[in-house]
Amino acid sequence: MGFPILSLVTFVPLAGALAVLLLPAGNARTIKQVAVGTAALNLVFGILVWTGYDRAAGGLQFQEFARWIPSMGVHYHMGVDGLSVPLIFLTTLLTPLALLYSAYTIQTRVKEFFLLFLILETGMIGVFAALDFVLFYVFWELGLVPMYFLIGIWGGSRREYAAIKFFLYTLAGSVAMLLGILFVYTNTGTFSIPEAAATFEAIRPFASNMTVVSLAFWGIFLAFAIKLPLWPFHTWLPDAHTEAPTAGSVILAGVLLKLGGYGFLRILLPVFPSAFKYWAPLIAALAVISIVYGALVCIAQWDLKRLIAYSSVSHMGYVMLGIAAGAYGLGAASGQDSVAIALNGAVLQMFNHGIITGALFLLVGVIYERAHTRDLREFGGLGAIVPYFYGFMLVAGFASLGLPGLAGFWSELFVFRGALAIMPIYAVVGVLGIVFTAVYILWKIMQNLFLGQPNERWLNLPDLTSWEIVSLAPLLAFMFFFGVYPTPIVELINTATTALASLL
Amino acid sequence: MFNLVGLVPLLPLAAFAAISLGVWRDRRLSTYVALGGIGLAWVIGWGIFFATWGQSGLVEHPFRQTLLSLPTGTSRLELGFQVDPLTGLMLFMVPFLCLLIFIYSRGYMAGDKRYSRYFAYVSLFATGMLGLVVSDNLLFLYVFWEIMGLCSYLLISFWFEKPSAYRAGLKAFLTTRVGDALLFLGLLLLYSRTGTLSFAEIFREESLRHLAEVQAGLPLLGALPLSTLIALLVFGGAVGKSAQFPLHVWLPEAMEGPTPVSALIHAATMVSAGVYLVARMFPLFAAAGPGNAAMNTVAFIGAFTALFAATIAVAQNDIKRVLAFSTISQLGYMMAALGIGGYVAGVFHLITHAFFKALLFLGSGAVILGAHHEQDMLKMGGLKSRMPVTFWTFLAGTLALAGVFPWGGFWSKDDILNEAFHSDLWIIYVVLSLAAFLTAFYMGRQVSLTFLGKPRSHEAEEAKEVPMVMQAPLMVLAVFATVLGLIGVPEDFPILGPILGSNPFHHYIGEMLALTGAHPVALPVNWLVLGISLTLAVGGLAAGWLIYGRKPLAAGQPDPLRARLGPVYTVLENRYYVDEFYQATVIRFSLWLSEVFAAIDSRWVIDPFVNLVGRAGAALAEILSRADSSVLDGAVNGVGKLVRAGGRGLRQVQTGQVQDYLLVLVTTVLLLLAVFLVL
Amino acid sequence: MEEILGTVPLTWYLTVSAALFCIGLYGVLARRNAISILMGVELILNAANLNFIAFWRYVGAADFDGVVFALIVMTIAACEATVGLALIVGVFRNRRSVDLNNLDLLRG
Repeated sequence: MGFPILSLVTFVPLAGALAVLLLPAGNARTIKQVAVGTAALNLVFGILVWTGYDRAAGGLQFQEFARWIPSMGVHYHMGVDGLSVPLIFLTTLLTPLALLYSAYTIQTRVKEFFLLFLILETGMIGVFAALDFVLFYVFWELGLVPMYFLIGIWGGSRREYAAIKFFLYTLAGSVAMLLGILFVYTNTGTFSIPEAAATFEAIRPFASNMTVVSLAFWGIFLAFAIKLPLWPFHTWLPDAHTEAPTAGSVILAGVLLKLGGYGFLRILLPVFPSAFKYWAPLIAALAVISIVYGALVCIAQWDLKRLIAYSSVSHMGYVMLGIAAGAYGLGAASGQDSVAIALNGAVLQMFNHGIITGALFLLVGVIYERAHTRDLREFGGLGAIVPYFYGFMLVAGFASLGLPGLAGFWSELFVFRGALAIMPIYAVVGVLGIVFTAVYILWKIMQNLFLGQPNERWLNLPDLTSWEIVSLAPLLAFMFFFGVYPTPIVELINTATTALASLL
Repeated sequence: MFNLVGLVPLLPLAAFAAISLGVWRDRRLSTYVALGGIGLAWVIGWGIFFATWGQSGLVEHPFRQTLLSLPTGTSRLELGFQVDPLTGLMLFMVPFLCLLIFIYSRGYMAGDKRYSRYFAYVSLFATGMLGLVVSDNLLFLYVFWEIMGLCSYLLISFWFEKPSAYRAGLKAFLTTRVGDALLFLGLLLLYSRTGTLSFAEIFREESLRHLAEVQAGLPLLGALPLSTLIALLVFGGAVGKSAQFPLHVWLPEAMEGPTPVSALIHAATMVSAGVYLVARMFPLFAAAGPGNAAMNTVAFIGAFTALFAATIAVAQNDIKRVLAFSTISQLGYMMAALGIGGYVAGVFHLITHAFFKALLFLGSGAVILGAHHEQDMLKMGGLKSRMPVTFWTFLAGTLALAGVFPWGGFWSKDDILNEAFHSDLWIIYVVLSLAAFLTAFYMGRQVSLTFLGKPRSHEAEEAKEVPMVMQAPLMVLAVFATVLGLIGVPEDFPILGPILGSNPFHHYIGEMLALTGAHPVALPVNWLVLGISLTLAVGGLAAGWLIYGRKPLAAGQPDPLRARLGPVYTVLENRYYVDEFYQATVIRFSLWLSEVFAAIDSRWVIDPFVNLVGRAGAALAEILSRADSSVLDGAVNGVGKLVRAGGRGLRQVQTGQVQDYLLVLVTTVLLLLAVFLVL
Repeated sequence: MEEILGTVPLTWYLTVSAALFCIGLYGVLARRNAISILMGVELILNAANLNFIAFWRYVGAADFDGVVFALIVMTIAACEATVGLALIVGVFRNRRSVDLNNLDLLRG
């Protein structure tokens, strides 16, 4: 075991949280500096994980192993592969940006806010790095609690409702997942995720245990589907996103949703490949419904933040479609490359959605801070008043609708390419989504916010400040960079998905 | 020379990046950066074009350059640029027109408050179009295709304060997006079935044969060869971009953008990208043999659009809108030509049309600027003497479009009609001939209304000739519109044929047909077709002049055709109510569906259900808590109460009187004593 | 003296002692005046002393246990009377009464 980079990247935020805890609450300035500084430092570790990962070798790297609860076979087992590295990087990237933005906007209960946020980061990175079911579950739950408070304390007018809804939905999923995990444990006798993946299907072949294995499958599935979120388990999302404070929405949409998608690929697909394949058509159908339905619901929204929240339902539907197609194509004649492409698309879409929707929520925060309204009907003509804001929103919006040359395009391409080869009908219906996406981005957002005669009311609206630009610019830079040159990230992801593609 | 092909799209891109990242503060510098980018691209583009002109073997083995290599499982997807005759030809046309229009824009856009942004957008547009033509694979083509769509959106809604402008931009993007979705599907299908997207590999004989042999079962349509299915999907994209029926509705409205944009994007280059796409993918269209469903669809949609749009153009009064419908109609011509297998004729018309239509649009822009932003032809008139350069150049464009000997349009249009006449689909020939007559007619009408007679409004009265910076491009284009057709004069055309060499254009671009396995055959000159076509052109122009030019309209007088055609005119004026039809069906249905789903989500089904579960949980908790307080708490409290009551009872014993205690003590001792004694 | 001792059996002494004890006990239990109770206590102690001496004389005259015990009891009694009276004086000063009926602060 070498340098424990994963423990470092996971627990540095927690150490920062401890430091914040020890600071006097009155000293808001120092608290903010410590919190942003910690997150920024952690970004360095996130980058180190990315650059240090050996793409040529692939597989699980930076593994750390220690006894934790030996009597139950629970270990402190960390490790990353091509699935987790981009997502860890995404987390370490979005957190400092969200904190930087919050440092300027959060004025009440500063200490608690930054404390919770740093704990949240530890929870999220822990999920991406854990290779032990119990460890995974602990980190999973660790992320849940701070978010509950972030929504419940610093949220909008319906924050209590949203926070409770978020908490209960997620908790319901967690309980189901725990049962599923215990089922796997009782059968394989191990809490190690890679070991369980290697042995579970051999011990409990799906064909002869369909009912009981399916039950365990759906239990774990439910937790991840709620988190993703998949239609019809998605309605916590619009409320939670809408009511959460800006930084909370950024992390919620940017990272927390990815926990679901990551769970599918880290646990569900490797442990239950046959069950996943068996149920893939149903899951793909839900994914396609998410895509089209989510996009259509967006068209009917007038609250900008809620609209973007629903766009996440639609965009995460691509992730699910890619994973379901990948699962369905396992061991099929259509070839492993289509599976790998679909899964590449799904992981890439998670990353891209993180940066794109993160940027969109920051932009919504920017306009809400100034105008104190998010009702699209009240805006208009801002294009001439706040050109920088217009420009940033234009880029993020077009990235969201999958314009080639920006990051979102490649993931859509891969998802649909994989899906079309494996389950063509679903892909064809799903493509409708990209048309509707254009409708709500261009018509609802762009037209209502920016086009038309400048509205008298907003003539004095200030444009982006320098720190807002600093929070947003890295995200936009990545949209351009991976839009033009996606090779580095696709190669990284490809190392993991080719392994997944040969599961059956 | 070919190594520089990557620079062609990258130079304007660099210009775009530079302008958006800061140069925009300086308007003058922005212009120079944009002009520099496109100018260099033009030099390289022509260099490449002339290098391809003499080089053989480029069709089978195009020059290729890989730029991006993406891992896809165990394989890799290689994407890059290429050069072959078709690319070379487009590199002859596109950067040159872009450059002319950039120059013209300096005059037209002078004084606009978003001047620098305009040049950033058009530079990005040039990147899109140039990248499109140099792509060696369908994916890059799609990428640049969409970038052009973006620029088209941004430029149509450039004056975004105007509701009509931003609505038009939205309409353009969304309508083409429908087509793009089809193209996207076609691309994916092709990619997933062949594992590659590069033209060179798809067009290899065995992969084409394979695609033509595999049948794809489809609901409703039955079995189709895979190649035909993919070709139809790809054609969907072309229909959107090239504004063919039924996705033509966006192009007329696209005229809300600045006029140079209309010229550049919505007449000369971007809209012809659809035709280019079909031409590029021609081997795939033709794979399932001549007259297959894909080819016939292209032919019929093209021919129908040609006539359909021409009839509408007759009844429009907006000077740019007439030209917009004319563009749709002419694009239909090209499509029809490709559909009947007249590859060379279609591409030929693409090139000549780009020049003369750009000329006409720039001319109309000059008219609009000269006449103080008046666009209604019924309010113009008499501009001939006031704007002579504009008039004469516009006339050159008109003659080219109408197809009068020897202007450019004559050669290419005659080529198409000749092909149609010799094809199996005689109906195509009839339809296209009718369209040719109408084309000449509405152009005659336009010239008569705009330039002849007396001014019918104050604006027209005051009209002034445009500045030199705008005149120069007009004149250059007029020259090209006049002589460009001569590169494609048939070999056996008397006098001109031998002089101009043996139809060099046909040899140059006809080589592309080698990919389909066919040998290019130049049809001999058919004097019947030629005569009819020339008669129609001249007759149409004459008819236009007879109705509108001989007896000029008075101010406020309605179009004389309105009285003569009655309700037909109204239908034409309203463009067959296609927009209204879409509004009432597709759009309204989508919006209704979105409202329904939103309601299902938050009001009718899902959220109510979730809340119901929540409430049920809360209610259950309430019941349980009641049970808790009565049973469990009862027991706990009972113990407490018992102790309390016991205490209260025992308290009575504690009198505080020492003697009482003593008495108890004595009594007890005595009792114990008694017990002891008795036992 | 010898004769009297020889003729009076132990039982008589014990009877007198028991009577004294009972009188004393009655006084302690029945009287309400603190002083009277104290006097009752003295009677009880003296009854005990009488017993000690009687048993010493009739049962084990070899050593002086009984006498010593009687002397200790008398000493204790003196102390007890002193402390007891002091307490009663204290109570009287506070309450202006030594009636036990009034002294029931410890009542439950």
